[in-house]
This record gives sequence, C-alpha cells and structure tokens, in this order.
Amino acid sequence: MLRLDQVTLAPGGNPVLVDFNFVLKPGERVGLIGPSGVGKTSVLQAIAGLLPIRVGKHENSFQRIGYVFQEPRLLPWLSVIDNIVLPLQARGLSRKLARAQAEAWLPHLNLPMQRAGTYPASLSGGMAQRVSLARAFALQPDLLLLDEPFSALDPALRQELTELCDRLLQNLNCALVYVSHHPDELQALTQRCLLLENKTSHRLVEPIGDVLLDPM
Amino acid sequence: MKTTKYILFPSSGILLLLLGWHLAAEQLGELIIATPEQAYRALLQLLSDAQARQQIWISLQRVLVGILLGAGCGFALGLAAGFNATVRLLVSPLRWLLMSIPPVILVVLAMLWFGLGNEMVIFITVVLLAPGIYVNTEKAIRAIDPRLQEVVRVYQFSLWQRLNRFYIPAIAAPLCAALLIALCNAVRIVVLAEVLGSEQGIGYAIATARSNFDSHQLYAWVLLVLLLVALLEWLLLQPLQHRLTRWQQEPAYAAT
Repeated sequence: MLRLDQVTLAPGGNPVLVDFNFVLKPGERVGLIGPSGVGKTSVLQAIAGLLPIRVGKHENSFQRIGYVFQEPRLLPWLSVIDNIVLPLQARGLSRKLARAQAEAWLPHLNLPMQRAGTYPASLSGGMAQRVSLARAFALQPDLLLLDEPFSALDPALRQELTELCDRLLQNLNCALVYVSHHPDELQALTQRCLLLENKTSHRLVEPIGDVLLDPM
Repeated sequence: MKTTKYILFPSSGILLLLLGWHLAAEQLGELIIATPEQAYRALLQLLSDAQARQQIWISLQRVLVGILLGAGCGFALGLAAGFNATVRLLVSPLRWLLMSIPPVILVVLAMLWFGLGNEMVIFITVVLLAPGIYVNTEKAIRAIDPRLQEVVRVYQFSLWQRLNRFYIPAIAAPLCAALLIALCNAVRIVVLAEVLGSEQGIGYAIATARSNFDSHQLYAWVLLVLLLVALLEWLLLQPLQHRLTRWQQEPAYAAT
C-alpha cells in the first residue's frame, strides 16, 4: 500500500505539487496525466525515494519497485544481461541465480539471446527500452513506475510494448503508476487516472473515457 | 591499412629518433653523447650484471609502491571530494600546495625529514602522484550523468556494486589517462629522487655513471628507464585500460 497525504513535492526546492494526496493498493494500476511540468515525474521520483518528501505524511509498503524512465538509462559499460543482473544481485541473489533469472526474462520482452552479451550503445532505441523493461520486470516488482517509457518510439512499437507490459503486469499482479500523454496507452494499462491540472488541483478521472473526451 | 597505422608509423618514428641521436653523437663526440649502438651494448652488459639488476629491482619496487600508495590516496580522496563538498574544500589547499611546489624542493625537504633511502623516495613519489589522480577522480565523479545515478539509487545497488560496477567504470577514461601520466611520472620522480639523494637504485647508478664520465653506461641507463616505462604501461596499464573501457570498443548502433 502506498499513501501520500497532504504532500508537497519540491524538486530543487521549487514546489510543483502542493497538498497532493494519492493512494495506491497492491495490484492497482493508476495513470498520471497532466500538462508538461506539472509534477508527474516528481510523483514517481517521490514514490521511488529519489525525491525527498519534506512536507506531508507518506507511507510505502511496496518492497520491490521497478522504474522505467523516459530514456532507457542502461549503464553503458555493462552488457545487456549485466544491466538486468546487477539489480537482482543488489536484491541479494547470487550471480548465477541472477543471471539465470535475467536470461529467462529476455524472451518475455522479445529480446534475442544473442544480444545478451552486447553493450547498450549497439542497441536501437526500442531494443534498449525493452532491456530497461526487462531490468524492471526481472525484479518481479510489486510496484512498477513507468515514466513515459514509450514516448520516443514509433506508434507500432509503442502499441506492441504497451500490450506486452499489460500481459506481464497481469501475470505478476503488480501495482502500476504510469505517466503518459497517450490516452490509448493509459486506457490499455490503467484502471483510473489522476489528472494533475496545476500545483494544487488534482482530481481522479473515472472512468478513463473522460480523459479521452476531455483532452488537455 | 591497420598494419601501416600501428606498426609502420611508430617504427618510422623510432628510427627517426635513433637517426637524430646517432647524428648528434657523431657531432658532439662519445664523451658527451654515446651512440645508440654503444648505449645498446652497454645496456646488454647492464642486464647481464647482477648488481645492475639489483639496482633496477630496487627502483622498480619504489615505483610500484609509490604508484600504489599515490594512486590509492589520490583515488580515495578524489572519491570523497567528488561526493562531498566539505571534503573538497578541506583538501583543496593541500592539493594546490602539492601541485605548485617544485619537485626538487620536495626532494630536498624529504631528504631532511627522512634521510637517504626508500622512505624518502617513496614519500616524494606518493606526494607528487596523488594530486593528479585526485583531481581527475574528483572531476570525473562530479561529471557523472545524474540520471544514471538515479538508476543506482532506484535499484539500491550495494556499496561494493556502486564502486565496482558503477563509479569506477563511469570514470574509467579519465582515470586511465591519469594513471598513464602517474605511471610515467612515477618512474621520473623515483629516478630524480635517487639521483639527488639515494645510495641505491637506477638514479643512483645514473649519478655514478655521470661522475665517472661513462657516457655509454649513462645512456644505457636512460634506455633502461624508457624500457621500464614501456614495460609497466604494457603489463599494468594497458590490460587495466582494456578491461575498463572494453564497452567503448563495440560499434555503436546505426539506425537504417
């Protein structure tokens, strides 16, 4: 369970969200939408512990958090497989077990095994983002944070990865907070959306069709 | 094409240097400059002499200990200063002092403090090498992409993973460059300190050859120092550099 109560989020000391409330139950999938700069990424960063919450109450009982950023953010000096292995080792898995687990996730993301030993610089944008997804999913997270992960990809690939994520999330029964500007992706992956209009105005939009009918 | 680039050009460069050396020796006479041939013969003699080998071994040990301690101190302080502004501010006067003081003055002071011998030579080597490694480490740590550091935090890498799998590879290029400079400097500093104030080592042997007007041996020792630097670079640095920057050798993705 994740609960943010009357929270102020201020990256770099500059408040972007004030009196922000947010609740996420295990297995629940919520979308975050709103104009650029309104603080959607700050919410994800706060949940992941990257942005300290100094004002308001917060509790987070999710144990394993996977985070897929807008850009793949793979460590360029590690091979594809090691990018997936390292977070697993950080969770206490032995190198052998972590590697086996990472290798098992490659086909789930349609990543050919032959690419396991290559370095990220040799991957296309779509392939790199698949590796980034594999890194997050291999942890078997109970909470997944997706920050516009498909925004730089072409529509066909975006749709393919959205469907792939949906299937994997269902299998893992994993909670999701998903930031996107694309209503079709939000509709496919989330059950409800939180519309962040400005610093203080945030409202739940249910059903998701409202968002589609009320573009910002 | 590759053969031309990596073998023919450096070989031609060496031949040109040897030619220049030979011409200078012929002009100035062998008392001032021994010819390459004379130096080479004297070098073979040195290598077959147990006492000379002992001097080389003493200098080599000093170089290795000096690099290990100097690079270690510089790297540890550089890491600390890269992460922490207070450490950076505290260390900056010492860094400035060590980078500004002429090595000869440091040798004279160290001779006063430690006398002649190992401690003095190693102290000078450490003190003169550490600032270069420190500066490169500190600047490189501060230049790491903060977005990648977020990955490290999100996935909760352990302290060892952060150091070994993140920070060291992230700063590998400037670190290797600093180590290369440190390696060459270490040999030069050790020889300088030995020339000025030691009773053993290559520098001491060079000083002896100079006082005996034995230019053949003097130039043989110079050749030996050059070989030592090349050997250390080839045996120590290049494998390390290859290991740390292997990922940069792979061709980047090209969209079609």
